[in-house]
Amino acid sequence: MRRLWSLLWSVLGLALAALLAGPILLEDSPWPTLTRDLTEGRAVSETGALNLVSSLYLGYRAYDTLGETIVLLLGVLGTLGLVHAASRPSPSEGPRKLRTEFLDVASGKLGPIVLVFGFYVMFYGHVSPGGGFQGGVVLASGLVFLALGSREAVFSPLVRAAFLKNLEATAFLLIVSSALAGLLLGLGFFADVGRVWGLPSVSFIVALNVSIGLKVGSSLGLLCLVLLERVR
Amino acid sequence: MTLVLLLILLALGVAVAVSRNLLAGILFLSGFSLVSALLFYILRAPDVAITEAAVGAGVSTLIFLWTVKDTDGGDA
Repeated sequence: MRRLWSLLWSVLGLALAALLAGPILLEDSPWPTLTRDLTEGRAVSETGALNLVSSLYLGYRAYDTLGETIVLLLGVLGTLGLVHAASRPSPSEGPRKLRTEFLDVASGKLGPIVLVFGFYVMFYGHVSPGGGFQGGVVLASGLVFLALGSREAVFSPLVRAAFLKNLEATAFLLIVSSALAGLLLGLGFFADVGRVWGLPSVSFIVALNVSIGLKVGSSLGLLCLVLLERVR
Repeated sequence: MTLVLLLILLALGVAVAVSRNLLAGILFLSGFSLVSALLFYILRAPDVAITEAAVGAGVSTLIFLWTVKDTDGGDA
């Protein structure tokens, strides 16, 4: 009986998926090309970013990126609150079975390399694939590697909760102030303020990428470290 | 190539859905993210591929693993 029900549900699910995907697959009208052509022709000269993806999400649609940042902030805050409320004094497990010499050495050595790669992805998001979010997530994995690889006594200052919290707050302040600076100077919300001092327009995108990357990296890193219970 | 990757994705997705062991399901899900990252890269969306590999295969797997740690690890 239970098998029959689960079979029925799977058939229903497949039918729903077909209903959703069918119109897209069967439609024979051409894809819209106006936005694509406009972006291809004008984005590089208008925003200065060679990577069209970052020129879109930071040059034209930075407002959406601000919203995503706020959603991420709320998600991390909520999760930290839940973890804090649910945390119970962990029974003394003794030395962890998972910790081996191999894990210590490999992840401790890998951490800094992953961090450097994260900074590369973050700083060069305007020319090569990547950007703030991607670089930030790579930074978070580097922080997890550092935390896994360091022994209890020699925690790197990078993986301390206070440092990560301050970094996240500072990066968010940077994002919000770069959004509002345009308003103060009379250029508009999220306007390229570097223009006033004669900076190339790509510098605004680099600055946004770096602050978003620091924000995402510190908040996701803090979340993972709290979940792993490896934070001071 | 795209078709092969899509078939692998289908197989991995079915494996995630039917696996009774939660840990195995998470690992299948991580593999699913990795193969879809490869697919995104082949379809010329390297930005999305980086995000999928880092978030899907890395961070979310970690969070799922942490959650499963507090369960009895399978279908009751």
